[in-house]
Amino acid sequence: MNSIWKEFYEKGKSEQCPVYDMHGHMGSYSRIYFPYGDFDPETIKKRFDRAGIKILVFCHHWSLFSPDIGNTANIEAVRKLPELLRAYCGLNPNYPEIIEKDVEEFEKYRDVFVGFKLLADYHGLPISHKNYSPAWKYADKKGLIVLLHTWGGSNVDGPEQVRIVAERYPGAKILMGHSCHGEWDKALQLMKDFPNVYAELCAVVDDRGGLEKFIDGAGSEKIVFGTDWPWFNHHYYIGAVLDSGISDDDVHNIFHRNAEKLLSSLI
Amino acid sequence: MEIKFFDVNMFIGRPMNGLFGSVISARDLITEMDKQNIKKAIVWHIFQYEGSPVEGNRILAREISKSERLYGCWTILPPQTKEVIDRDFFKKMKENRIVALNAFPEWHRFVMDKVSFGKFFGEISERKVPLFLTMGRACISWDSLYRLMRDFPKMVCILCDIGIWGVDRYTWPLLEKFEFFYLESSQLSLEEGGIEATVKEFGPEKIVFGTGFPVRYPKAAILQLKHADISEDAKVKIASKNIEKILQKVQL
Repeated sequence: MNSIWKEFYEKGKSEQCPVYDMHGHMGSYSRIYFPYGDFDPETIKKRFDRAGIKILVFCHHWSLFSPDIGNTANIEAVRKLPELLRAYCGLNPNYPEIIEKDVEEFEKYRDVFVGFKLLADYHGLPISHKNYSPAWKYADKKGLIVLLHTWGGSNVDGPEQVRIVAERYPGAKILMGHSCHGEWDKALQLMKDFPNVYAELCAVVDDRGGLEKFIDGAGSEKIVFGTDWPWFNHHYYIGAVLDSGISDDDVHNIFHRNAEKLLSSLI
Repeated sequence: MEIKFFDVNMFIGRPMNGLFGSVISARDLITEMDKQNIKKAIVWHIFQYEGSPVEGNRILAREISKSERLYGCWTILPPQTKEVIDRDFFKKMKENRIVALNAFPEWHRFVMDKVSFGKFFGEISERKVPLFLTMGRACISWDSLYRLMRDFPKMVCILCDIGIWGVDRYTWPLLEKFEFFYLESSQLSLEEGGIEATVKEFGPEKIVFGTGFPVRYPKAAILQLKHADISEDAKVKIASKNIEKILQKVQL
């Protein structure tokens, strides 16, 4: 741990330990000011280089919040910066016809997408809702990654809902974005019960304790790093993980090894 | 350049509902500070919030007397009840190395405005005693904070724990308008570009370093500041110089 921390502290990044950010966004969003919200490849390169970010897998805010723009925003962004970016195809269950079309066309954009992103707390329908079915079935069949926004206490993307989709679609690689925030014990149980369910650390490491619980209970092989970038700062979350007292091996698993495995057949 | 960290946002004591990694005593806190290379800290005791500001303030004074690296922050209540603020209040602050105050009006059930605190806040504005407020812990609403700063525009106010979501739309008008309004850095560091953008708009003098320990990981704020895209001089100011300058002006 000390050598990795020392390298990050002195240089801001680590040659031995690259960082894969598996939970990001792109573009502005009405409810918050982002200093780095506008899509600008040069800014992204500079910011990512400072912290040693190897790749960011994201879903553009406009894909999630505007059915009129849809996944065009993701496709354009990745194709402008393919060496650093991949995207999740954003799904809005209030427009099932768009989901069907996006699934049909998924193969056309394999250079862009590694899976799907669901934001059920905002879109209002549970992650197990039938309107998502074409995408879930496709992810199940193809072994795609599905990044879920999950939150403790939510009846649309809380732990009970994650359990339903994890049982139903064992072939999909499910990342619990925010790890059912606050319901750490239930998130941990899901990680233990399902080989295809992973914890994702965005908002988990805002406070101490959650990550340590996951490591003790399920091991670092079931955890991936994420930041909601451009919401949250890479160095802040990297520092948080490095301050949790976990082993070098755990740090490597969380920052890059697990993500490399998940992405190996997809990029 | 080595950066010396002076942390303005740490507490001691175990919360009633438990908290991962909380520290019981000043000695434990110093151990943690050494681990993190934090030189000095302004601290408070969780019992000031959860149990009793009066007894919590006493416990804090006793604890920080064990280390000159620690400075205290006492919790205030409306002067009218005389629970905390009495005739010798500032003298007692000085005797006990208390350099700042905090308040939790919504949790402690009082209105913090001109009616209740007019004379007292006038006095701490004159004496340049910093008032720490937090956007966590059911402390104060943005509306109330805006009203407070309008009523006491010369008050030294340091806003801590600004929130998980970036709050620049709330804080930048306050930074623009009030000379002695400052932000504690721990959750500003969490916001991507938060430190850089604030420094660009208002200068590094408006930010003081904090970690939020034991709730948050100190290395998070430390690593972010160390590699923020601002000048080395700005980092040093945020890490320690700004709070040292604020404390030099306190008159007790």
